[in-house]
Amino acid sequence: MSLTEGILCSKSHEYIREHDGEYTLGLTDYAIEQLGDIVFLELPEVGAEFHKGEVFATIESVKAASEIYMPISGKITEVNEAVVDTPEILNESPFEKGWLVKIESETAAVDSVDLLEYEDYKEEIA
Amino acid sequence: MTKKTFLHDEQIKLGARMIEFAGWMMPVSYSSIIDEHKTVREDVGLFDVSHMGEVYVSGKDALAFLNKLVPQDVARLTDTKAIYCQLLNKQGGIIDDLIIYKLQGEKYLIIVNASRIDEDLNWMVRNSLGFNVEIENQSHNYSLLAIQGPKAVDLMVKMGLKKENQPEFFSIKRAELFNINLFVSRTGYTGEDGFEILVKNEFSELLWNYIVDAGKEFGLKPIGLGARDTLRLEAALHLYGNDLDEKTTPIEAGLAWSVSKTKAADYNGKEVIQKQLEQGTDKKLVGLKMLDRAIARHEHEVYYNDEQIGIITSGGVSPILNENIALAYVKNNKDICIGSIVQVKIREKFYKAELVKRPFVQKKNKV
Repeated sequence: MSLTEGILCSKSHEYIREHDGEYTLGLTDYAIEQLGDIVFLELPEVGAEFHKGEVFATIESVKAASEIYMPISGKITEVNEAVVDTPEILNESPFEKGWLVKIESETAAVDSVDLLEYEDYKEEIA
Repeated sequence: MTKKTFLHDEQIKLGARMIEFAGWMMPVSYSSIIDEHKTVREDVGLFDVSHMGEVYVSGKDALAFLNKLVPQDVARLTDTKAIYCQLLNKQGGIIDDLIIYKLQGEKYLIIVNASRIDEDLNWMVRNSLGFNVEIENQSHNYSLLAIQGPKAVDLMVKMGLKKENQPEFFSIKRAELFNINLFVSRTGYTGEDGFEILVKNEFSELLWNYIVDAGKEFGLKPIGLGARDTLRLEAALHLYGNDLDEKTTPIEAGLAWSVSKTKAADYNGKEVIQKQLEQGTDKKLVGLKMLDRAIARHEHEVYYNDEQIGIITSGGVSPILNENIALAYVKNNKDICIGSIVQVKIREKFYKAELVKRPFVQKKNKV
């Protein structure tokens, strides 16, 4: 299975992947490549709830700080502490080891209507 | 319209990611900023800085004219020598920071920031009344390349410029590399030893490719503006627009070393500068090292005992120290000194930082 199979991407470059009713959230390889060396991540706490489109995290590359938006509404159930400790994991593995948070979402079906499959996303940003 | 340097296509071939900077399409990075940064600190890097401006000032009154514009004493310059200085307004504020090279006799070359060429020229022309000088903007005719890093000297030797023929620190020489006539100066903006090469546009692509080729055995890589910024920040070199502006004087900016205390000639802003030298300033530039894990950036506020005392003007990552560093202007208060702990407000939270000495990183091989 390819790393990008089954993922859905937002135009602001976040992706979600569903697994047993839980969603893993991260940033696309394209976003990471544009940002360059990732040096800092500020992630929310477990239990925090965010609406679709809300800023829930901050990522900093050598160049600048950028905000990360929720692609769907939901509640944080797990935070990837490994990427907080070693942000360069995102440069190496955005779709596997470099995930950011896991969330539970009751509105995922509705919220994801404007999200794109990876191939379509790539075409959209090209 | 956004301008392209004569090296634009060569840079794309080498994998450059381009951005717009000061009206130019410039490479921000090729491989990674951190990798490029380390290349310059450990080996040698090649920069295209052709966006920078070149202005020739010549004529019988050239010296007197330049001495009116800057607080440094230009009379100190002998042929082939250079000085770092600032173009001041009447209030002592910095219109631009620049390097003046005395080429020969009454002919000077000034290298200015890309974003300030128009302001600089306007100011120079306005101040030239009564002086017998010619001010010539040659920016459109020249490309500027920089070779920076501990292996820059050996690379120049390989390219045919023997050590004894290389210019000394803050000097400029006419030279011929690969049969191309050019100027080589021992200057830069990285805190490393290195050279800047001024060449006519029509030869810049040829020269660039010769350097890339000759540099292979020294580990030379092309370097983008991203690493140029992290390198100059580690060296605590000011960036115009961030750390310097028309409301800031060289004394406030920690540049008193580049202001002559004995110059007899009157210059723009002299009254303010002399007063500040005698009585001190309200604000001062300081270096900060983040103690908490957070990155201070341009325009973040600085606090001391719950009171805002200043603002970050440049901040980011130091790839060599593996720490987060910043330059800030703070109230000139004797309690706020090296070793003081302050707070930086980043996204509505406060993070501890310590005032430290500048530069953050020292050059290994002093020239």
